[in-house]
Amino acid sequence: MTELTEGAPAAGTFTTARRSPLRELIQYRQLVAMLVIRELKVRYKRSIFGLLWTMLNPLLLMVVYTIVFSTIMRAPQRNFAIFLLSGLLPWLFFSIAVLQGLHSILVNQELIRKVRLPQAVFPLSVVGSNLVNFALSFVPLLLLMAVVRQPFTAALLFLPLAMLILTIFISGVTLLFATFTVFFRDVRHLAEVGLQMLMYLSPVVYDLQMLGQHDTWWFRAFRVFLQMNPLTYMVGLVRDPVYYGRVPPLIGVAVACGAALGALFIGFSVFNRLAPRHIHYL
Amino acid sequence: MRNGEIRIRDAGVCYRLYREKVSTLKEAVVNRFRHLRSAEMFWAVRHVSLEIEPGEAIALVGHNGSGKSTLLKTIAGVLMPDEGEVLVQGRISPMIELGAGFDPELSGRDNIFLNGALLGFSRRQMEGKFDRIVAFSELGDFIDMPIKNYSSGMYARLGFAIAQDVEPDILIVDEVLAVGDERFQEKCKARIRDFRAAGITFCFVSHNYEAARELCPRAAVLHHGRLAFDGPIVQAWERYRELERGPAPGPQIEAS
Repeated sequence: MTELTEGAPAAGTFTTARRSPLRELIQYRQLVAMLVIRELKVRYKRSIFGLLWTMLNPLLLMVVYTIVFSTIMRAPQRNFAIFLLSGLLPWLFFSIAVLQGLHSILVNQELIRKVRLPQAVFPLSVVGSNLVNFALSFVPLLLLMAVVRQPFTAALLFLPLAMLILTIFISGVTLLFATFTVFFRDVRHLAEVGLQMLMYLSPVVYDLQMLGQHDTWWFRAFRVFLQMNPLTYMVGLVRDPVYYGRVPPLIGVAVACGAALGALFIGFSVFNRLAPRHIHYL
Repeated sequence: MRNGEIRIRDAGVCYRLYREKVSTLKEAVVNRFRHLRSAEMFWAVRHVSLEIEPGEAIALVGHNGSGKSTLLKTIAGVLMPDEGEVLVQGRISPMIELGAGFDPELSGRDNIFLNGALLGFSRRQMEGKFDRIVAFSELGDFIDMPIKNYSSGMYARLGFAIAQDVEPDILIVDEVLAVGDERFQEKCKARIRDFRAAGITFCFVSHNYEAARELCPRAAVLHHGRLAFDGPIVQAWERYRELERGPAPGPQIEAS
């Protein structure tokens, strides 16, 4: 396979000779946007509140958590609901995107059998629609912060960067899981259970500072695990500005960026290596 | 390579058949060697070589399971050849299945843009084609209705209307002329003749001799994944008939 199209290809033009998957994906970037819009359109069709549900959902979740933790359970921390939500929102972005994304190749198999296109558009569009949900859920979060008098600081301006890093990280993980699921359908079930466990093994509903000190070997091992867990840093990207009112420490941001780029690189290259074989397993 | 050229050299496409198609993790771990080594190999297409010049019209002929669709999918770029090479230059209009990729919940309008994006067109490019597509499809006001409410004829009309407007260099048609009413079929054939006159490469799969002879002077006959004949359509059809009459052995599966 040596022939390649010369220069920038016009839309829809291709050779069956292999082209760089990245270039092909860039050519189809509008398709990703359209699949995201389709997903949102179809999801909220015939519902009275429409896209508003994207914001209502986390709001209702927040109300429940606020009531449970501030009145019933008497949480140790001030504004525990904000603390909790600043961890839950990035976690939900991660876990829902991965769980939906791992089905994306199977769900679109009819299309993959018939039309030549870069298959990565499907998992990536799942990440995209969840990014929209994630971004919109900050509207009720900020409202709630105003209601419970959580101070707004300039650190909140860090949030767009946090979203970018999270999206890169989640894209990589989702691509990886999407391709594995084609070959081993068990991945779906493993991921469901694994994500449940991972939520408690990541500082989502708690924080490193809340753990205190115990002088046992398993506790030390747990702390080391938390420090190696990229999700610790991902959650920090959102929780630090929202709850602690500070920009995350530079080292934390650096680790998060490294994990995000590493995940995307591994996810994208493994996905593209295995994608031509998907059709035999669908 | 020139636009519209198709060059197939000793191409082979192999399906690996496992006892159970969906392998589980446990199976993969326990039967690791079986999983990797002794899968049964089924060559749907093998040792096929074809040179199709720009502007040529060729009919692909063969009984069911002869490998026509597999070969077509390789040309369309959906399948990668496991052996040899398939080189295609130019934009392909894949009429392998009309309306592949339609979302039933969306309106005809949204589906035109979605389908355009699936073929690699931008929104702006599709806006330029939109009116022509709607006109060709003769759907009128139905274009803003969710297409799950369309009849199968309307569905196929919209599919053909999109596929005929993508300015292809290569047109691949797989038995889709059996859709719509007679008048719409005639319209589709007329459109294909336009394409032919404009010098577009044309690959046609059909079991209908009249339709194939009308559109293609050349034909390739596939038999059990091998190229049995390549030449003028009249002789090709004789060979096809001959092969059809002969005893049809089951597909050959070779273990490796």
